[in-house]
Amino acid sequence: MKCEVCLQLLEEYLDGELREAEVAPISAHLVACASCANEFEALTAEQEIYSRYDRELDISATMWNQIAARTVELQHTIEQQPNRTWRAWFAVPSLSWSFAGALAVLLIAIVLGVSYFRQAELNREKQEALSSEPANPVKPGKIEQKTGPTVAGISKQEGKRDLANANVPHHQNTPKLKTMAKLNAPSQKPAADQSDVLFSDAAYAAVEDQETQVHIENAQNLLRSVRNIEITDDDSDIDVTYEKALSRRLLNENIVLRREAEMSGKFPTKELLSDLEPFLIDIANLPDKSAADDLRVIKQRVQKTEIVAALQGY
Amino acid sequence: MKRLALDEISLDRRPGARAGVLMNSSADLIARACAGDPEAFRLIFERYSRPIISFLYDLVGDRELAEELTQETFVRAYRNLSTMREETKVSTWLFGIARNVAREARRARVRSSRHVDLDDESVLELSDTAPVPVDRLLGKELNSLIRHSLAALDEDKRLVFTLKVFQQCSYEEIAEITGFSIAKLKTDLHRARTEMRKRIRPYAGVTYEM
Repeated sequence: MKCEVCLQLLEEYLDGELREAEVAPISAHLVACASCANEFEALTAEQEIYSRYDRELDISATMWNQIAARTVELQHTIEQQPNRTWRAWFAVPSLSWSFAGALAVLLIAIVLGVSYFRQAELNREKQEALSSEPANPVKPGKIEQKTGPTVAGISKQEGKRDLANANVPHHQNTPKLKTMAKLNAPSQKPAADQSDVLFSDAAYAAVEDQETQVHIENAQNLLRSVRNIEITDDDSDIDVTYEKALSRRLLNENIVLRREAEMSGKFPTKELLSDLEPFLIDIANLPDKSAADDLRVIKQRVQKTEIVAALQGY
Repeated sequence: MKRLALDEISLDRRPGARAGVLMNSSADLIARACAGDPEAFRLIFERYSRPIISFLYDLVGDRELAEELTQETFVRAYRNLSTMREETKVSTWLFGIARNVAREARRARVRSSRHVDLDDESVLELSDTAPVPVDRLLGKELNSLIRHSLAALDEDKRLVFTLKVFQQCSYEEIAEITGFSIAKLKTDLHRARTEMRKRIRPYAGVTYEM
């Protein structure tokens, strides 16, 4: 053991505060090292001096008498309050200032929190009321009129559509189903029952945004695909079965998502989907073997209106 | 190295200790006192009054005040007998009360701006005269030397030093009494010893060179 370590632990050694494992090496070192042994002797001598310290204090009989008198008085006071325990049940708890202060801060925080959430709820209700007002305007109505025959047309060509959908990845159908289910759900739910609206709406909005994003990506791919179709000068018909089927599916999704965007006040999204819809309608209404001129018109419109760029910017 | 237990010290140093006291363990006395036995509390006082008054005197440096504070300590102890935890040593519990009582007294003293001097005895002119070996120091002079050295320590160091060196408390007990961490009390104790040594060693040198 080094002297430095020994000297560092010497006071604790003297105080008897070291563990047995630490005591043995120090004892051995003190036998071997005269310098450390001297230091230990000095400490012991100091201790001896302190043990000779006499404060010359006496415990007088008076002191006990005074204590006894006070304790008797105390006992008497306690005995004179027999109902103390009984009263304690009904006593108002005494709060220290610090506790009372903390309680006050907590109460203020709760009041502010409740008023904030109520205000937020009121704002949201107002927003919903405002966004639901223009829900029956002319534009969606027109689209529904246009889509009516298209949907009917789809049912007539069920077999072809199934074949076309076989080329589309399965997961692309899932958002549509979810969205449709969600669209129906709020209409069945009474308006007053909105107790869990805060969190469910937030989660709902996140899923909705994700679905819109996927939808717009698919639409973008479709329009790119149409734009890139090579039209030759021999005026031969072009097979657009896949594009047509995809467009019909996207059209249905588009209508649902556009309405949802309108209901939730997401007007830029709603505008974008409104702009997209005529393209989807036109492609969905193409015959399986389309004439080159029909396709050329659509291609030119896609290029002119820069709808693909707008979709990409979403 | 054997550390003397507080109970042994208090009994050994008290010439009037009765044999009967030895038959009563501190826990038994506390239980009896809780049950309303006034004799049991008197025995507790007999057993612990000397270490408590010594401790208080070391803290406040005033004889009369130490006596007053000792009374107050035992009255508070009586009032709070039922709150004493079983695992706590009686001495540790009483030192804790005494420490609080002394602290309150010091605060009150500061508030009233009343300065309490150390005892009126003549003070040794330690710095002006050459050291005199301890052997040749009269008892009174040695006491005065230690008392003044203690008074020069700051409050925390004096508290820890007194509990360790004079009352032989363990580090754990000191931590329980003072609320200090073991690390802090070790540091304070080491510094207190160093400061005390500076004052005491010149007078002790001859003794341990013998």
